[in-house]
Amino acid sequence: MALLMHSLRWLVFLLAAFILNFPIISTVVTSLKSRAEVNANAGLSIQQPTLDNFIQVLTVTDRLNIYGYLQNSLVAAMIGTILPIIICFPIAYAIARRNYGSNILFPLVINLRALPLIIFSIPLYLMYQFMGLLDTRLGLGLILAVINLPLTLLILVNGIHDVPEELDEAAKIEGASLWIILSRVVLPVCRPAVVVTFIFGFITAWNEFLFGLMLTTRDAVPMTVGASFFFSSGGGGIQWGMAAAIIIIAALPPTLLGLVMYRQISRSMLGGAVKG
Amino acid sequence: MNTRIGSQYENPILAAPMIVFLLLLLGFPSLLNIIYSFSAVGFSNIRTPEFQGLQNYQAVFNDPMFWQATRFSLKFATLTALAECGLGLFLAIFLSPLLRQRPWLLAILMMPMMVAPAMMGLMYRLVLHEFVGPLPHYLFKWFGDSPAFLSASNVFTTVFVIETLQWTPFVLLLCYMAYNAINPEIKEAATVDGARPHQLLWYIELPLILPTVAVAFFIRFIDGFRIFDNIFVLTGAGAGGSTTSLSIYIYQTFFRAGDIGKALAASVVLFVVSFLVLFIAIRVLRRGKR
Repeated sequence: MALLMHSLRWLVFLLAAFILNFPIISTVVTSLKSRAEVNANAGLSIQQPTLDNFIQVLTVTDRLNIYGYLQNSLVAAMIGTILPIIICFPIAYAIARRNYGSNILFPLVINLRALPLIIFSIPLYLMYQFMGLLDTRLGLGLILAVINLPLTLLILVNGIHDVPEELDEAAKIEGASLWIILSRVVLPVCRPAVVVTFIFGFITAWNEFLFGLMLTTRDAVPMTVGASFFFSSGGGGIQWGMAAAIIIIAALPPTLLGLVMYRQISRSMLGGAVKG
Repeated sequence: MNTRIGSQYENPILAAPMIVFLLLLLGFPSLLNIIYSFSAVGFSNIRTPEFQGLQNYQAVFNDPMFWQATRFSLKFATLTALAECGLGLFLAIFLSPLLRQRPWLLAILMMPMMVAPAMMGLMYRLVLHEFVGPLPHYLFKWFGDSPAFLSASNVFTTVFVIETLQWTPFVLLLCYMAYNAINPEIKEAATVDGARPHQLLWYIELPLILPTVAVAFFIRFIDGFRIFDNIFVLTGAGAGGSTTSLSIYIYQTFFRAGDIGKALAASVVLFVVSFLVLFIAIRVLRRGKR
């Protein structure tokens, strides 16, 4: 009976893993097929695996400059991840240690992440137009920072909360200024929280699509939007092998990061959901 | 050092960077949004809008497409959140003995969450493609027929299934963590008192993880309600507008129709409605926790 249940569990797991990951598996398989084989055999088997699609995508850049997209994504995601950590860290300290703004400000900011982002997109578009931020990596990075800000603040507040207060008391008695306490005492101790916000923020920023679509047109187009260009520009004749390779490259950075850090992610996701 | 004066201004100074940043990037645009939504504005007079009252709002409320998009978003959000919670809860409880033995299995189930929804949408364009897609390939092979997944009559089910499959892992993860966090002594006590496994599950464990399920439902509802990326790349809101969510409606009113005033008015309506819903939902969740 126990053995039966055990094998049933494995069966359900394998089935769920297969169905949930089916699009990923299919795309990987297609990306490894030659052009002729994609059209001849649509199944999940590969007769002659080849890296041609990846080589083409990475070398023939006149139609789709993948390095440009990757660079844009990287720069914008970095701004969108690091900036909120820098600007949230001081206020997170005030919230965690002194209950500052814990009645209105803190809940208000945390709940920003539940608003549909589209409502800010058009006025932001207009504002960016006035300020010359349209189609720039900085402009995209700034809005990614806004998107990441609520969760960053939440995780940092929780992280600082876990730092024993005696630590900053001791530093204060030694005569350390607040700035020193923040940067030399609290920040190093809650490095795990900073790392988690970085991972989360980077995955979110890299995967963002709506603002990349609206606020960039040519110079600052991120990878997610660039990949969708490949589909729309094909004029009916999409080369599916190459398209699959592009999707895999676009999805790889956040997926790898997520797989490596899945423990931290699952733990703080629970914290974020329960406390938020 | 004059610590008294220092500490008096310390908190506002610590808070200033974030508050200034948010005011610049959300506060100012929101103000712009509200002012422009009451104005006659187009791409030609974008810097000198003329006040005109409620006309933009009238245009929104008289647009049948707006109501269709609202209905779509509500229906889509409710159904996907329900399906994700049902599936995720079942998998979390049923698989938990296995996942406890081998935690890395969880990483495999979490993979879909890491992929950008837009990329997931593109992947399904491949998966569902009638000539090169694996799914139609096998359906033809085994059953001799395959439905047109993106036709007007099937497209809602298709995007519903896609969204559910991508985010069931999220609910699974939350429920699994909550389920594992249940104090083992409670289970022991119930077992000692003669509770059978299904009674334990129904009367003890489920009520204990119900708050987590409620939070998961709430998060998934919100994400479903504002859906954009995967539908946009998959159907481009095509199929006769049958997959036009509110987000896509606003996007199209602005970029395709160039009707700035109407798009802004719709944004303000959405803002007010989401704020109210959020406010009520948080109150309910808070009360539920106590």
